[in-house]
Amino acid sequence: MILLLLIYAYILIANVPGLIKRKEWKELIVFSIFYVIAFGLGIMYVLGIPVPSPMKGLQHLIVDILGIEYPQG
Amino acid sequence: MNIEKGKISGQQLLFLIAGFVHGSALLIDFTVGITEHQTWMVILAGLIITVPVILSYVVLAKRFPEMNLVQINDMVYGRFLGKVISIYYIFFFLMTLSFNIRDVGELYITFLMQDTPFIFFLIVFTATVSYAVAKGIEVLARVSHLFVVTGLFAIISTFILLIDQMDFSNFLPLFELPFIKIFQGIHIVSAIPFGETVVFLMIMGCLNNTEHAVKKTFLGLMIGVVSLLIVAIRNTAVLGGIQTIWTSTSFQSIRLINIGTVLTRMDFLIGIAQTILIFLKCSIFFYVSVTAISQLFGLKSYLPLVLPLAGIEVIVAATVFQSPVDHATITQNAGIIYSVPLIFIFPPLSLLIAKIRGLPKPERGKGT
Repeated sequence: MILLLLIYAYILIANVPGLIKRKEWKELIVFSIFYVIAFGLGIMYVLGIPVPSPMKGLQHLIVDILGIEYPQG
Repeated sequence: MNIEKGKISGQQLLFLIAGFVHGSALLIDFTVGITEHQTWMVILAGLIITVPVILSYVVLAKRFPEMNLVQINDMVYGRFLGKVISIYYIFFFLMTLSFNIRDVGELYITFLMQDTPFIFFLIVFTATVSYAVAKGIEVLARVSHLFVVTGLFAIISTFILLIDQMDFSNFLPLFELPFIKIFQGIHIVSAIPFGETVVFLMIMGCLNNTEHAVKKTFLGLMIGVVSLLIVAIRNTAVLGGIQTIWTSTSFQSIRLINIGTVLTRMDFLIGIAQTILIFLKCSIFFYVSVTAISQLFGLKSYLPLVLPLAGIEVIVAATVFQSPVDHATITQNAGIIYSVPLIFIFPPLSLLIAKIRGLPKPERGKGT
């Protein structure tokens, strides 16, 4: 947990001052969105909260709902 | 305006493609479980089927010089539909990147360092890839030939050292498997090593000269295909029918090298070559993902997104599959089916639409 906080503090320090200095507000907004998603996923992983897998959802959509699948065995 | 200012030469593109295709050598194990001793045929058939599609990628890139895939989509399909298709591509890039990062972790945890935490490999590897991506495509392109030479050295040297243990009757009988298995194998091969070269539509815009792009692309592809074929032939000739029971056939066959009890345990060679080549492949996927996202949002630089995206990729790679078996099962079905439109339909369709509409029109040639 401490390592995660340190890593994300570094990412913040490495990027945000430069973006503010150069007045790149659009870049700052997009960075913030991705930063929050990454930090949220990191917290979930560290706390042992199951992270939903996009491929499981895709497998469900393609195989179970659309019924497209190669025969097994 | 293209997000990338760097330029690469045709020769560098050749080595990038060769290393990229060669980097999938570990992934032909997905096919081996299905097509067994006929894997070499499936690789050749997959190549034949994919060649016209890859040709369409290069022709598209030549038609829209100095433009990347996101800009091409915007111009061909309009701003809204173009963005939807670009998001679909970005999802594909991000997912494939996470699978490849996971492959490295699985490789180390299964064969080389069993007692180390899985997430450690993912973090270290993704951090290294992020560093390479932050340096830009030019730097990656300049070192790509070293990666390809290292990979070829490992493959050719292990092939020679295993010649005495090869039994070429392992390839018989020919045409034994049912058609559906061959079809699935061809689909896997044409989607995973060959079809994934669609990422180069994000890179070909950086070519300083598109004149010989077709020739260079196919030369690179051929080097990659020959290396995949050598791997498939070596594994089948050495392991025969038992190759389907191993999670990594390459590692298992290399472990059999025993020259006078002096040259043994050569699997480290494959470990080094695979790590280097998957590093190149992941760097290309990461670079392409981050530039595509930046282009989509109209950013001036992709650099601020590198580290947050690396953080997302580490967690997705760690959690996307529960086990190597889960990884193989999903990749052999949903993994190759959802990417069909992106690899086989959109690029040729874009080319057709561009021809009909006479794109790119000089006065509208700015894109996003």
